[in-house]
Amino acid sequence: MSKLNILFKEAKKNKKKIFIGFVTSGDPNYKSSKEIMKEMTKSCQIIEAGQSFSTSTSDSPIIMEANDRAINSGMNMKKTFKLIKEVKRETKTNTCFVIMTYLNPVKIFGLKKFVNQCNFVGIDGVIIVDSNLNSPEEKILINGLSKNKIGYVKIISPTNDDEFIKQSIKNCHDSWLYITSYYGLTGSKNVNINNVKAMIKRVRKYSKDIPVAVGFGVKTPSQVKQVSKYADGVICGSTIVNKVAQGHKKRLKGKKLATFVSSYVKKLSKGIRK
Amino acid sequence: MKIPPFKEINPPTKDGFWINKKTKERFGGQYISPLLVPNLKRVEKGFFKAIKDKKFMTELNEELLSFIGVNTPVHFSPELTKLAGGEKKIGKIYLKRTDLHTNHSHKPVSAYSSCKLAKYLGFKKILTETGAFQNGRAVASACAALGLDLDIYVGAKDAKKLAINKDISALHGANIIEVHDSTKSLLPAMAAALRAFQSEPDSMYVVGSVAGPMPYPLLVRTFASVIGRITKKQFKDLVGKDPSTIFCVCGGGSNMLSIQYPYLRTKNTKLYAVESAGKGLKTGKHGATIGGGGKMGILLGMQSKVLLAGENIAESFTEASGLDFSSIGPEVAYLQSIGRIKFLTATDLEAKKTFMMMARKVGLICAIEACYVIHAAIKEIRKIGKPKQNHLIHLCGAGEPNVAQMMEHMKKNK
Repeated sequence: MSKLNILFKEAKKNKKKIFIGFVTSGDPNYKSSKEIMKEMTKSCQIIEAGQSFSTSTSDSPIIMEANDRAINSGMNMKKTFKLIKEVKRETKTNTCFVIMTYLNPVKIFGLKKFVNQCNFVGIDGVIIVDSNLNSPEEKILINGLSKNKIGYVKIISPTNDDEFIKQSIKNCHDSWLYITSYYGLTGSKNVNINNVKAMIKRVRKYSKDIPVAVGFGVKTPSQVKQVSKYADGVICGSTIVNKVAQGHKKRLKGKKLATFVSSYVKKLSKGIRK
Repeated sequence: MKIPPFKEINPPTKDGFWINKKTKERFGGQYISPLLVPNLKRVEKGFFKAIKDKKFMTELNEELLSFIGVNTPVHFSPELTKLAGGEKKIGKIYLKRTDLHTNHSHKPVSAYSSCKLAKYLGFKKILTETGAFQNGRAVASACAALGLDLDIYVGAKDAKKLAINKDISALHGANIIEVHDSTKSLLPAMAAALRAFQSEPDSMYVVGSVAGPMPYPLLVRTFASVIGRITKKQFKDLVGKDPSTIFCVCGGGSNMLSIQYPYLRTKNTKLYAVESAGKGLKTGKHGATIGGGGKMGILLGMQSKVLLAGENIAESFTEASGLDFSSIGPEVAYLQSIGRIKFLTATDLEAKKTFMMMARKVGLICAIEACYVIHAAIKEIRKIGKPKQNHLIHLCGAGEPNVAQMMEHMKKNK
């Protein structure tokens, strides 16, 4: 069983919910990003580290700009692994780390090499936004990750049909099902609670116990609280990345930028229903 | 004139790939966010329903003939034949004149057909991207004719260059959205259109090339192949047999497949594609995916040959906005990989010189994109150097949008 799976199981047993924070790896640069992630381990049970792709087809302008900052600062997959490894070593944290990216960077890095590196660094889960459910790459990833007890997260949205949801539950391995609260881009609207309730109901038709975490448009502690009423986990992404951008504009760097971002993340995480 | 019916002669697999059996490379597929899956399913289902619907197809074909004027001529070009070395040395050169379509390029055929499909499926609004604004203008005109709203995504760099086509699109009522991401050219414009499609499932995305996630590469080439189907008949009527060679320019590959698709199984016809070598392949500033050593990658929902910069997509460079694309359509990449299509290149400077030659010696103002193929074709035809050959060049666009750029070139080179 993966560390992610254990985390969700334990939380369920103790009637607790999981807070997941997304941040773009290497934004605005390696050094500051490392400090941000180190600070975020204090309030996030899971950190999703976004590995940028220049031609992303699903990100909001906020994340696109972060992608540009990270890529321009020389970030790549190899450096993301190094960064997470250092964060883990320097904080000795229990926080789980998930890499969220697109298939091109993974494929160019090498699918098998990617799985091996995840194992070596101690990555707990992987999200690949554009990996098709039936593609050969998906099969290689599922096999490789499951052999190494690394979780594989799949994303579903309110417009997906039941067949797609069933297949996503099947492909989702040793982790959680990522529900987007609306159709559209990350962070472009506010969370839609009615969609969340309906989606969880649909998922439960096919799986009684797969953990579900909700993202897209969760921007305030009260929204975190509202979502955590229904979901096992709550994901905040664009709102955190936006904070990084704000700090960067104020010319904050390193630990100062990290404190600026993490105090905001801490506030968000307090929304989690106790 | 009746448009010859479409025949599927190069089908992808059920999951939407063209597979090179020798190298096991897979081209195509649907690599997109789960949020886009339902939208693509709706378009795919609707497309297959529409092309089997006799009423829809009859109406579409009639409108392509009347409104787009798809029955453009194929004619002998004595000037180019002479320039290449004369009939005794190289045979004859013919031109297919899709620059004479309404909106002056090959694009209106697939653009109008796709918009007609959108209307058939009940969509009220179209999203599209454009590079040289040939597609943007063609879609804008189609949307005006069919009563559909339109958002055109264009790279900020391109928007500045091609003012006339941009203005014409605006006159048709299109909403033009400039994309300031990454390279500010066709590639980020297409990514932006895909993102918009994810946000607006009630709008239909119309792709300007044979690229993107399935079903788009299939849909665009099927609709666009009207050009090749007519050409095949015209050429046989005119010359008595199929052409020995067909030359096309290749950005994403839509103008190539539009004319070459019906010839894929015509063994005696050699197929050529010409990419932009920009400032020269060796300078690294080019738009040649194949000529520049592109590798397999995944972008914009498809797996195909891509110019890479590490794990990201490299910036392409060419003065022809319609060729400024760091990848090519998956079916085109597949056909290249199995050796069916031979790839050539021409530089920006060679294209500009050819533009002037066409203006001064042939009497035609061609789209700068078409000048790459004319240059490379003449060079290759000389190399083939056999009499009794019949060569066909796809003159895929008119050059009005390039006039300002070419006036500058003319003044500089006086």
